[in-house]
Amino acid sequence: MTKKLLSVILTLVAVLAFFLGIWLIGRLINPSLNLDQTALLRFVFVGIGLLIVFIVYLATRESKIWDVGTREVVYMAIGAALYAVFSYLFNGTVFVVPSVSQVSLRPAIAIPMFFGYAFGPAVGFFTGAVGNMFGDALTGFGLSPQWSVGNGLVGMIAGMAILFKDKKRSLNTVFIISALVAAIGTVIFLLNKTIPNMLFYDVDNNIFGDQQISWFAGLSAIIGLVLVVLVRFLFRDNIHVAAAVTWSMLGNFLGIGFAAISDIWINGFSPAVAIVGEFLPSAGPNMIFAAILVPILVAAYAAVQRQTGR
Amino acid sequence: MLVTWRYRPRKSIIQSFDPRAWIIFFGCYLASTLLFWDLRYLSFFLLLALIVLFTSGIRWKEIRKAMLFIGGFILFFSFLTFLTGRGGMELYAEEHVLRELKASFHILGWQPSLLISAEKTMFSISMLARVFSIAVMTILIPYSLNPALYGVTFRGLGLPDKIAYAMDLTMRFIPTFGRDFSLTMDAQRARGYELEKISGGLAAQVRKLAPLVVPVTIHAIAGSEDIIDAMDLRAFGIGPRTWLIKLTYKPRDYFLIGFGILLLVISIAFSLWGWGKFWVPAGLLALAGA
Repeated sequence: MTKKLLSVILTLVAVLAFFLGIWLIGRLINPSLNLDQTALLRFVFVGIGLLIVFIVYLATRESKIWDVGTREVVYMAIGAALYAVFSYLFNGTVFVVPSVSQVSLRPAIAIPMFFGYAFGPAVGFFTGAVGNMFGDALTGFGLSPQWSVGNGLVGMIAGMAILFKDKKRSLNTVFIISALVAAIGTVIFLLNKTIPNMLFYDVDNNIFGDQQISWFAGLSAIIGLVLVVLVRFLFRDNIHVAAAVTWSMLGNFLGIGFAAISDIWINGFSPAVAIVGEFLPSAGPNMIFAAILVPILVAAYAAVQRQTGR
Repeated sequence: MLVTWRYRPRKSIIQSFDPRAWIIFFGCYLASTLLFWDLRYLSFFLLLALIVLFTSGIRWKEIRKAMLFIGGFILFFSFLTFLTGRGGMELYAEEHVLRELKASFHILGWQPSLLISAEKTMFSISMLARVFSIAVMTILIPYSLNPALYGVTFRGLGLPDKIAYAMDLTMRFIPTFGRDFSLTMDAQRARGYELEKISGGLAAQVRKLAPLVVPVTIHAIAGSEDIIDAMDLRAFGIGPRTWLIKLTYKPRDYFLIGFGILLLVISIAFSLWGWGKFWVPAGLLALAGA
């Protein structure tokens, strides 16, 4: 084991031990302590998210996909800055992109997906995590570090496509996993149709997060999946577009899923509320961007590569 | 061409500290603020933020645009919170109604109404104090942190060379891409593109955003070749990086770091004891007849 690897493991263990210590000491001080009321769990989930990244890295460290050279450093910075600027512009109040049937649009999510796919998992993770952090700071949203890690995972998983030499074969496995996640989410929605959409403000009734999730928002993961199938069919001769869209879909489901599920402990949501009220209305619509904007970006970048020869 | 934040050297409290010490303090302040929902506790953090703001030496003219945007955004969301109680459901289970207002008219069968409760009111005020404190402290960083020190600051905080430099570049690129976005939007408008009129189905709306998102992204990537070449020519990443400016902690920096850590430890302790949770003044509850 190299010195570097050991120091990373020790750091992660120290962080987890710190929070475990706080939890144990806290229970001695206050027996009725609920950690979800202390905001500390946000940081615990950052540790867990980073641990997941580290495990993926350990499992694939022989591969060159984790190499970070000059090019990757610059792309990390460009990706994170673009994600922050687009988040600020589209998620804030500069341009209020209208929502349709309880689904609000977050076009910025296409950036970590594209950067992850085009430049690798390290670039994708940095773009999603740091970009989300700066975007939140710019819009004054405060700090939701577990969502930053979730966004980082979106970019990282999209970048795992580079691991596979035979992209076509990997796509089917990725697609099956994504379809399973979408199916599970949708089944949970069908069993809990009365759960409110936590991400939607109902103007008519003057209520935020209390309106029952719409059919469109509830089925958005499946709709996204269908869109991805369509893109794969339309671009069946362009493996890059098909791979970018399919891997982005998996990244989106797992990354946003991680952040939404962490809210079961952080905000005290029930698993059904976290999945139906948070995961579906955010991960589902993200798929629309994966299916439309990511292919455009991949095609435009391919043209730039042809032009510059790099 | 890079566009920079409006940094300039000023005689101020914030700029008298080592940037690493300030970032550590900022991190502790941020984490501490997040531990509270009680307005009495949050007032302390708000006061601290206002002291830093008013002693920052930044003129209103310089910060006006950013403050108006973020201030407006926070006010808008706090007002929305007041109207709807969004997010409050996680903190209180019961509401004491102060007043219920109902409009005398109907819109398509819907009668606009507003339920003002003690909890909703206090939650929106607490939220305003909480988010405004964080926003003020955050917004001051690009105005008071010398861009030449971004990289060495992050390196000094323990990040690896490459990640520190990536953070440095990210902070430098943000204003540049903001400018590029507005230039692209002007160019598209000159061609008849109207963002304000984005309409149609979901897919149509997304497609209509492409003329803004794609040129800015691709222009940024294409333009990065010059930066990559310049870095490669200077042998970036070949060996451990050296920095032109060396940062050295002074006693006042240790004091600031100590104060930040103490603030965080006390905040965590208070939180573990169950202090600083959502609070509604007894007077307000009495007004509601509780």
